[in-house]
Amino acid sequence: MTAPGCLKRVLCVEDDPDIQVVLQLIFETEGVAVAICGNPINAVTMASEFKPDLVLMDVMMPEQDGPETFRQLQSAPETQKIPVIFMTARIQTQDVKAYQDMGVLDVIAKPFDPTTLMRELGRICEKHHGRHAS
Amino acid sequence: MKAPLPKNELQRLDVLRQYDILDTPAESAYDDIVQLAAHICGTPISLISLLDADRQWFKSRTGLKPQETHRDLAFCGHTILEPGMMVVPDATQDARFSDNPLVTSDPKIRFYAGAPLTTSDGYKLGTLCVIDRVPRNLTDDQRNALRTLARQVMTQMELGWHVNLLKQRDRQKSEFVSMVSHELRTPLTSIRGALGLLNSGAAGILPDRARTMADVALRNTEHVIRMINQLLDLGKIESGMMELCHKKMDVNSLVRDAIEMSRPFAEKHGVTVFAKLPTETTVIESDHDRVVQVLTNLISNATKASPYGETVDVAIHMHDDVAHVTVTDHGSGIPASFQSRIFQKFSQAESSISRSEGTGLGLNISKVIIEKLGGKIGFTSSKRGTEFFFDLPIAWAEGK
Repeated sequence: MTAPGCLKRVLCVEDDPDIQVVLQLIFETEGVAVAICGNPINAVTMASEFKPDLVLMDVMMPEQDGPETFRQLQSAPETQKIPVIFMTARIQTQDVKAYQDMGVLDVIAKPFDPTTLMRELGRICEKHHGRHAS
Repeated sequence: MKAPLPKNELQRLDVLRQYDILDTPAESAYDDIVQLAAHICGTPISLISLLDADRQWFKSRTGLKPQETHRDLAFCGHTILEPGMMVVPDATQDARFSDNPLVTSDPKIRFYAGAPLTTSDGYKLGTLCVIDRVPRNLTDDQRNALRTLARQVMTQMELGWHVNLLKQRDRQKSEFVSMVSHELRTPLTSIRGALGLLNSGAAGILPDRARTMADVALRNTEHVIRMINQLLDLGKIESGMMELCHKKMDVNSLVRDAIEMSRPFAEKHGVTVFAKLPTETTVIESDHDRVVQVLTNLISNATKASPYGETVDVAIHMHDDVAHVTVTDHGSGIPASFQSRIFQKFSQAESSISRSEGTGLGLNISKVIIEKLGGKIGFTSSKRGTEFFFDLPIAWAEGK
């Protein structure tokens, strides 16, 4: 299990401290540089500084939800090109469609399998890059 | 003369609001009753009038244009003060109504008969009434019929109230299920994550016995997650909210996806999954994720039924206009006593070794999915093994 070439730096926007710990270890094990953003209000600032290849973002957060945070990332010039993948515990077919229409790459259901998360993210990113290359 | 308010007016209004009927669109059930009342009593006008705080609102009406009038003018305001039905043979001769604008000008009411709409608790919410522009009266039969029809109006209102209540409960249930699902999935994300990382050695190599315990914990966590997902599916099915999408896809790649997803579980049980796929492309119009869900469910059942070292075979055959997908195991078969119940909710074979890992919902959900997709699901079983199959209609096939 190795990280795909397109994923060297990942920013996780997640408010649950336990899930933060799990995500941190998953990416460290994979040799991926990871930054955790516990409050979505700071997502744009952190993304501008950390310059991730991907933002992995929770949808339901009390301070500010995923779609709103995504819109902020999209409207800031320095972060608008960074691909975003949502993860959510409340997955509904029509929501997934709405998120993808907004421009979110894909949606991952919680609870995710930690041993296959990296492969899953890689698959989504490669599909994305493939689409953009062609 | 304006009618005084009933003693229980505030509670009465409260009860009326609970029926949630004011300002709702016309309904044929009520319109039919009003037509029948006018016909039986031989009057040009009939109304279902509900007495709101400062108006009478007509749920149904014939022979009269306005949807509502001021309550001060309402004959029905007097009816609900009477012990039973109120009959006014000639309004011009009745001190309560002779100066009423509905009498002195349009629609020039002369005759009025109203039967109260009384709840089981005795609240009079309004009336079913018949009105004529000439003085007259009703026969005993007509009076009885009007009372009977008024009770029918009340029955309709009770039904509507129950339907509203059920709809509201159903919404609350869906919201509750959705909320619980989220509240459970969040902690399960960290539990599954932590245990998965522990087992994969990401946090250092575990001693054998610790590894065994972590395996037990992870296996049961996966079981709880499966349970929650399947209970949510069941909830969606029962509320008619299961959404299926219909997209064109190749059956072969769909089967390959399902086998790929099932492989880790099969390997854990020492079972090899073989695919026998046709060389040509066959396109079905279906819901990819849901068909994969059915197929992984069948493969996981077959895996659990298989002795260590055995194979599970997945094959596709084309029959006329259906893709026939089979999952075959070489286990000891399904007990005859269990076969008739196998697709029922929460059914599991008594002696099943899979009992601890199953939810008893998988096949029930699979059956609903396949049938909603326009297909069929079934099985044949003997002491030498079991074959489950499902058929899905083909949209397009190579060479066809």
